[in-house]
Amino acid sequence: MSLAPFISKRPWLVKMLQPLAQMYVNQAGYRKMGLRTDDLISEENETVLKALSRLPPRESYDRIYRIRRAQQLSMQQKILPKAEWTKPEEDVEYLGPILREVEAEEKERAALDTLTIAKKH
Amino acid sequence: MISRSALTRGSQLALRSQGAAKLAQRGFAAVASPKASYEPATVAGIKVASRDDQGPTTHLAVVAKAGTRYEPLPGLTVGLEAFTFKNTKKRSALRIVREAELLGGQLAAYHTREALVLQASFLREDLPYFTELLAEVITQTRYTTHEFHEEVESVIHAKQAKIGADAIALDAAHSVAFHTGLGAPLYPTPSTPIASYLNENSVAQYADAVYNRADIAVVADGASEGALSKWIEPFFKELPSQSPDPLDSAASKYRGGEVRIPKTGSSALVIAFPGSALGASQPETAVLIGLLGGESGIKWSPGFTILSKATAANPGAHAKATNYAYSDAGLLTIEITGSASVVRKVAEESIKALKSVVDGSVSKEDLVKAIAKAKFDLLSGSETAGVGLVHAGANLIHGGKPLQVLETIKALESVTAEKFKTAAKALLDGKASVGAVGDLHVLPFAEDLGLRV
Repeated sequence: MSLAPFISKRPWLVKMLQPLAQMYVNQAGYRKMGLRTDDLISEENETVLKALSRLPPRESYDRIYRIRRAQQLSMQQKILPKAEWTKPEEDVEYLGPILREVEAEEKERAALDTLTIAKKH
Repeated sequence: MISRSALTRGSQLALRSQGAAKLAQRGFAAVASPKASYEPATVAGIKVASRDDQGPTTHLAVVAKAGTRYEPLPGLTVGLEAFTFKNTKKRSALRIVREAELLGGQLAAYHTREALVLQASFLREDLPYFTELLAEVITQTRYTTHEFHEEVESVIHAKQAKIGADAIALDAAHSVAFHTGLGAPLYPTPSTPIASYLNENSVAQYADAVYNRADIAVVADGASEGALSKWIEPFFKELPSQSPDPLDSAASKYRGGEVRIPKTGSSALVIAFPGSALGASQPETAVLIGLLGGESGIKWSPGFTILSKATAANPGAHAKATNYAYSDAGLLTIEITGSASVVRKVAEESIKALKSVVDGSVSKEDLVKAIAKAKFDLLSGSETAGVGLVHAGANLIHGGKPLQVLETIKALESVTAEKFKTAAKALLDGKASVGAVGDLHVLPFAEDLGLRV
């Protein structure tokens, strides 16, 4: 259950909650380690692995770089200098669209493979 | 994914039950007459050919001028072929397959040197569905990167791994005969560098260049012209009328020569001469093919043909003669496969036999048999549902007429021994194209066979 669809349908509510959401993202701290939101998606399942395999080579390389840098920082108990933090405009959804496409494919396959034909005669 | 509404399914079922009722009313066929030729027409700027025998099944094909002859970069035709029936803007590849399965249809895509063919075979009443599908495939395929890496590349590699010595030899003979254009390989071998040319973007560009009203033909076997034009008009609406960047193709010129390629495994030898082009009136070539033959049509007997006699004496060899007809050129080939030593023997014997034909030792009986065989091959070929589709389509996209069966039969009957001998002599005196693949230590050079290259 998520409140997101309910909220996104109401512009005034979105406007009201936007600063709160920004605050939450800043508090979560992943931007301070140079990560993006989509880097946090757990990759230990077939769907995400498939989506990752469809990333363009450049995106894939950058993603690995960001994750390794964050791991190093985490080990050293440090955060990046402020100039290198992920800026809000950089924090784009690069994996989400591909992931949704893969999910839709899986759903369609499941639906078509368990299709029953209703004969009308 | 957009789910197809239940309403469409209902209407499809209704249509189908109507067709079934019509089928039940049909009595026995009245008189066996030669099947009609394809009737050419133009619908909304698209060349259409159809013939209708009121049978229960239909074969529908889109024939595009996109064979290996026209590809600007190597491998694009096979890439485009592998991308057919993949995800389109309206539905996924999986849905296309499952829907075709539910309707009992068969989908196929293949290419020749001149044409790329998208073919659907289905029950007569499903014509609207499959017309829409073929139109959607040529106008709205998405050519996605992930499909290229996950599905297209692997299919191409698997097909490349299956290319045998015979296919390589035939490609080699074509390449020395025509150099560029028709000389491009039908399927690039694993050692052909295509990786730098073939990707989803170049395939999409090629698709834009070749799929347009001027360069495709829609051919149907088993659909009435009225029904066809009714459905082609709305579904092919998005097809552009002109290519944004037309592909240039120079006229083919026969050159001839010899090429030898070492390969492990079985050997193949292709001996080729200039043959007859599509629509050219050269009945002698068809009769010569009948005389050269290959596989015997009669069980437990090698038959009368030159090649089957030669292979009967050399077990393990296979040989056949074919005329590959293209729009502006033709190639008459003798293809011999087997182990290197038998290939050599069959080649020597068949060339010797061919020379004796030129010297005048062909019996009248053999000529009658050869003409009868040529006639049978032509008629049975045009009778089998779906076989003449590509031929008719290829003729249309090159501005010719579909094969007129009755006229061609008349021409075949008019071949005399004298005419036949002159034609055979012209072949042997001209330059041959020879492709040898396999154990080159054993395979003969063209000169050893007594051919000019």
